[in-house]
Amino acid sequence: MLDALASGLFQVLQWQTLSYMLIGIFVGFWVGLLPGIGGGTTLALMLAFIYRMAPVQAFAFLLGMHSVTATTGDITSILFGIPGEGSAAATVLDGHAMAKKGEAGRALGAALMSSLVGAIIGAAALALAIPVVRPLVLTFGSPELFMMAVVGIASISSLTGRGSRAMLRGFLAGGLGLLFAMVGQDPQAGILRYHFGQLYLWDGLKLVPVLVGFFAIPEIVDLAVRRTAIAGNVPVGRLTHGVVEGIKDTFRHRWLVLRCSLIGTWIGILPGLGGAVAQWMAYAHAVQGARTAEDRERFGKGDVRGVLGPGAANNSKEGGDLIPTVAFGVPGSSAMAILLGGFLILGLAPGPDMLTKHLAITYSMVWTIVVANIITVGASLAFLNHLAKLTTIRGPLLIPFLILLTFVGAYTASNSMGDVIVALIFGGLGYLMVRFGWPRAPLVLGLVLGNIVESYLWVSTARYGAAWLTRPGVLVLIALACLMVAWPFFQERRIRARAR
Amino acid sequence: MRRIAALVLAGLLLALLPPAHAQTTFSGKTVTIIVGYAAGGGYDRMARMIARYLPKYLPGNPTVIVQNMPGANSLIAANHVYGVARPDGLTLAAFNRNLALGQLVKVEGVRFDMSKFAWIGSPSNETTILAIRSDLPYRTFDELKRAREALIIGATGPGANTYDFPLLLKAFLGANLRIVSGYPSSADIMLAIERKELDGRAGSYSSIKPFIDRGLVRAVIRARASVPEIEKLPVDEELTSDPRAKAVMALRSTPEVIGRPYVAPPGTPAEFIQAHREAFSKVTKDAEFLAEARRAGFDIEFVSGEEALRITNRVLNAPADVVRVFAQFFKFE
Repeated sequence: MLDALASGLFQVLQWQTLSYMLIGIFVGFWVGLLPGIGGGTTLALMLAFIYRMAPVQAFAFLLGMHSVTATTGDITSILFGIPGEGSAAATVLDGHAMAKKGEAGRALGAALMSSLVGAIIGAAALALAIPVVRPLVLTFGSPELFMMAVVGIASISSLTGRGSRAMLRGFLAGGLGLLFAMVGQDPQAGILRYHFGQLYLWDGLKLVPVLVGFFAIPEIVDLAVRRTAIAGNVPVGRLTHGVVEGIKDTFRHRWLVLRCSLIGTWIGILPGLGGAVAQWMAYAHAVQGARTAEDRERFGKGDVRGVLGPGAANNSKEGGDLIPTVAFGVPGSSAMAILLGGFLILGLAPGPDMLTKHLAITYSMVWTIVVANIITVGASLAFLNHLAKLTTIRGPLLIPFLILLTFVGAYTASNSMGDVIVALIFGGLGYLMVRFGWPRAPLVLGLVLGNIVESYLWVSTARYGAAWLTRPGVLVLIALACLMVAWPFFQERRIRARAR
Repeated sequence: MRRIAALVLAGLLLALLPPAHAQTTFSGKTVTIIVGYAAGGGYDRMARMIARYLPKYLPGNPTVIVQNMPGANSLIAANHVYGVARPDGLTLAAFNRNLALGQLVKVEGVRFDMSKFAWIGSPSNETTILAIRSDLPYRTFDELKRAREALIIGATGPGANTYDFPLLLKAFLGANLRIVSGYPSSADIMLAIERKELDGRAGSYSSIKPFIDRGLVRAVIRARASVPEIEKLPVDEELTSDPRAKAVMALRSTPEVIGRPYVAPPGTPAEFIQAHREAFSKVTKDAEFLAEARRAGFDIEFVSGEEALRITNRVLNAPADVVRVFAQFFKFE
């Protein structure tokens, strides 16, 4: 096994492989940065180039691209409040709030360093999981997948403010998110729901236009109203020193980063949940770590922990995502489904063989994730300070550019005007929610989990009747979900007790 | 001498004249293939492969690009190509093979007539099979039929071959199956089979093949369209003597012969259609293309435009009583 690990590294470091990876990284850098064009679509376009490559080269090329999109996606989220990728939306909440306080550099440093740590932990998990990967994935049946999604929904209780009123608003927003997930053809009988006669809505609401509108438009309105730069009137000198501070933050909160990386990896391993879920659960986990009421209040207003958590999770899920793809030939996400096409082109059959005969290739993927992220973060650090200066450009000059980025980003989801309309509608909704103090995160979590909850509840019941409720894994997850809902109450009581 | 010179000159002139059918030229133009699905799926991967080989065989060697227009099971793309795209020979569409069935059962949102498209053909067919776990004691469909306990078959949902095919096997051939539908994708079904939550699944042969090859499942029955490797499997419609059951099963599987339909907008001038048809026919014989397709997991079996149109018309003209029974089973998804 160590032989394969070493041979995987050497193969990745050969100059030819490395240069393919550099091309991939260059592409991925821009794909991540620009909202809309997702890593999955880009993978599909890149497949055409791998026919003449050796497997290790091809995966360096493809994974090199894909594993950096989540890293650079955070940059757009922080600087402009526009999610650069579907999986980078959670970074907007605290990351962009930091940028508005003049701490863009620090937020960028924290996001990139936590991404790197997350990527390495995810890759390490992939490497370590290889001997036990099959039982690990197979113990998770449909009932357990359903319960995992319920745990995700339960984490809403941490994503809301304090007090019963705030909690109620949080769960109402989450419920609204679940309702939005019902739009389109239902998965069991093909019945059309809430489609208003529009073909566009048959497939349901697309995540990217929703997220881009929901987060970016309120920020653009805010910027227009304030008539200043994003960073307000913070002197430029302060901005450029933040990056090192952000890197230090990553290690100051190393346990948080580690835990969020593991959350991301685990969600990556489970098929179907994906990066859009991982970041929010990591964010919720970061919030749960707050010790005092004042500490809790800092989240959403520019707390670096709100950047570190999602930053780590959305990169560590890459390693986790690969596990079902490599070990079973069953992709854990749409991007991995496309990567699977790459396996076939290269004449590799994903499945048990990848863990024995082709182990070196599998390890080369692990190394690709690590090396690609090191290169990206290293290269980015060189000009992050300059990027941070973008937040000092006057609002009126920046706004046209932001609007363009927002709507082009939304439009690329399915090249339809419907995307733009959805972005506008959710932009309006997002603005109202911000204005009247409703939390946005629960709504997004409801939306991304809605379909999973619905499908797996149905499948579990159709397959096992009511018996699935008594499976041990399900019982553990039910307990976990209850604990997550109750946690803020415990927390509050503890805080009060300490105050006395 | 002069006669010979004149002959040579005439010969030269003839050679210089372009052949009759190549008067249409795409030189300097861009041909767009509109795909009714998002990037990365089977329809999309096939289109992107074809887009790289078409320029070689179209007169004037145009640029060929792929544009994804996903949504509503490619109804959006089909409506666009039917009603909006200009019939100038520069637009092709690749969409869902089941659109003719959707039109037949009068699905909401259909704003086209499949028989009026300018058919180019289909580079491959898609065969549906039922595969069950190899560790089950049943080796053939006959043994499976005698199973005392129902086999649990996973499906995505109505309108997909994962659902429709086993449903008809159960309804018309008396197979003892329990269908659990609602899995998010066929990949999720495969994983559920691996963890023994399910006993098997139906689906296109090309997508199940890797799992047959590594011994997880075995194929027991197929639908009408076929490839040589599974020619010997029993065919669903041949196992019944009831003519209506036969007709319904045949109707379901007929579009699979046109596995990857390619059309141009209605009213596209005949010479352009001819050029595209010839180019497709040559691409699907190109040795390099065939090798690439095999690696990507596609079996290439070209169905001509004329044949595709004939098959489509046969679907659209199915007798009313067959359509009535079929409509009870089929939901367009």
